[in-house]
Amino acid sequence: MKKMLLTGLMLALSGAGAVKVGVLLPLSGAGSVSGQAARSGYLLALDEINRAGGVLGKPLELEFGDDGSAPAKAVPEFVKLVTVDKVDFMVGGVSSATSIAISGPAKQYNTFMAWIGAAAVPVEDAFADHKYFFHYHPWAYYNFEAILGYFKTLKTQRKAKNIAIAYEDGPFGSAGIDATIAAFKKAGFNVVMAEKFKTGSGNFGPLVSKAKAAKPDILYWIGYDTDALPLATEVKQQNLQLGLLYGTPPSWPVGFEKNKLSDNVAGLSLWLPSSPQAESRKFVAAYKKKFGTTTEEYFAPLAYVNLKSLSAAINAAGSTDKDKVAAELAKTNMPTPFGPLTFSKSLKTQYQGFKSGNWLHFQFLGDARVPVYPIRFAQKPMVWGK
Amino acid sequence: MSAVSVRPTPARRPTFAWRALLALGIFFVLALAFPFLPLGDRREFLLQIGFFTLVAGIMALSWDLLARSGQVSLAHAAFYGLGAYGYALLLKAGLPWEAAMPLAALGAGFISLLLGAVTMRLSGMYFAIATLAFTEVVRTVIQNLPESVAGGANGLLVPALLGGNSRGQYLLALALLLLTVGVSLAVRLSKLHHAFAAIRQGEETARVLGVSVVRYKLAAFFLSSVLAALAGVLYAGKTFFISPLDTFSLANSISPLTTSIFGGLYTTLGPILGATVLRVAEELLHNTVKNGYLVVYGLVLMLSILWLPRGIVGLWRRGRQGGDL
Repeated sequence: MKKMLLTGLMLALSGAGAVKVGVLLPLSGAGSVSGQAARSGYLLALDEINRAGGVLGKPLELEFGDDGSAPAKAVPEFVKLVTVDKVDFMVGGVSSATSIAISGPAKQYNTFMAWIGAAAVPVEDAFADHKYFFHYHPWAYYNFEAILGYFKTLKTQRKAKNIAIAYEDGPFGSAGIDATIAAFKKAGFNVVMAEKFKTGSGNFGPLVSKAKAAKPDILYWIGYDTDALPLATEVKQQNLQLGLLYGTPPSWPVGFEKNKLSDNVAGLSLWLPSSPQAESRKFVAAYKKKFGTTTEEYFAPLAYVNLKSLSAAINAAGSTDKDKVAAELAKTNMPTPFGPLTFSKSLKTQYQGFKSGNWLHFQFLGDARVPVYPIRFAQKPMVWGK
Repeated sequence: MSAVSVRPTPARRPTFAWRALLALGIFFVLALAFPFLPLGDRREFLLQIGFFTLVAGIMALSWDLLARSGQVSLAHAAFYGLGAYGYALLLKAGLPWEAAMPLAALGAGFISLLLGAVTMRLSGMYFAIATLAFTEVVRTVIQNLPESVAGGANGLLVPALLGGNSRGQYLLALALLLLTVGVSLAVRLSKLHHAFAAIRQGEETARVLGVSVVRYKLAAFFLSSVLAALAGVLYAGKTFFISPLDTFSLANSISPLTTSIFGGLYTTLGPILGATVLRVAEELLHNTVKNGYLVVYGLVLMLSILWLPRGIVGLWRRGRQGGDL
């Protein structure tokens, strides 16, 4: 009994003055798939950090907050973490709208933020003047830069010239569509079709018929997972001859890779469980050991990297002083499942982590997502349909 | 000569109307004192919760105003969004917030008259579907305006209301809720109340009684949408950012409806009590049942509506006669 009390006392004492990190994530609502994946990544990182001695000699503590995928819920939750729970640092952040909503309180409390998501350009505007804002996820323009780079390669290698674009009518598909078309044209492509569709309508008949008449080499689809299967079905049914059907949904339908209709469909991801980097393999093994399963969601390794890099910076700084930690985090150069992580300027913010070079292009081949580009990461040659 | 026995008249007890007024008075006194209480570390957090509770109260009460005329609308998100966008665009045009706020609200009010005129002949489910479609139309129009005008699908950044001062923002929201309550009470105490009630119970009968159905339905639309737009302005100024997806979301139409039903339909006190109880309950559950609090919250809401068909104020009104404010 005495021994138990003593152990309890020691743990309590070791916890006193522990570094507290607030984690704001969409654990419910529209963004919860990414939010829950990120939560798992943080828990895995927390285990490893504390097993290795914690931060500043004390166990690291995480305080989770659910932003409900809604700005009206994110603001009070953020303020609670900062003012009531008195966390030393804030991490997390998936949705752009919630991230912008908390930009006011973040500046008011001069909060240190190591942010994993929120790729929309208005977020960059909102945090442009925030001294302690470290952004890990590539900004939206880096995503497009990666896609354009890949298509240019296809132009050179496969003579791909004509692009048809199918985009959903919400912000995800429609934002910046005019700039997208202009950029393709500037790069020497013919945009032979740009057709809007309603997410979840399930009817791609007219759109695919129009595409068939336009004879594209690439059908570039910007939409959500719900439309992946109906579109692939229609393409097959109408026998639309394409070099590549390329999609960029935030996540793919569960089990899509097992469906024959997914064969040769290509997409973009920041990470794949099959990524060849040593850090990725280590992450997959550790994740499987802790949770008994693997994940396809890149927000899990992104959150993992986020907390590991922050805790390393705090240890290197030797204190929780924000300026010292910021200086150390800015110097980060660590191997991660996405490739090396360093921070450099983006168009408007001081500390941007991953950029266009971190995106992987994959193809659904033989019941799996297989990296096909950049060539140095390709595990199989890309299948071109023409 | 037969003796006539006269029963003594019982002393008049205060009617529910006075009790409701008293309850409203207590609510506003407490709400006004709230930001000045020694709340310690939780002050800022509680002010944020308080702010969004007041916005929910404005939305619910403004929805109830329209429902009193028998119009179950799903267009509240449209007015909320029009208020938010109108405000942001007027600020962008250089107007001060004090002018942008009422102008945005009035703009939404005039647009609501168009919707009211178009849907005049519809009722029940058909009316609800038409208003839902209207929200979708407004969202699509805003989203397809040139990005340089309204930000397109990317949304718009909005300057912080009152420089981000949370106590000031809270007090402004309280003042606008007071305005909403004032409008609601004015409606209740005027002939509008009888006209709305008559229309709700049957348009044909109301016409026979000489009620100008068109005029009164449009009046309900106008008042309701102006107030909902003010809630949208508060939201925009608080969250610094509006996008078509968030601002015109269906949740912004459904939430005032459930809040009003939960609190008590066709009353002034009910929607305000509903907003307060639901927001506080949500926060308490959120902090006690970490995982799956939404399931518990949903169950509580469902059971309350099943067992309290007249809402929270129904408990109070049980067995009582008299005016229900």
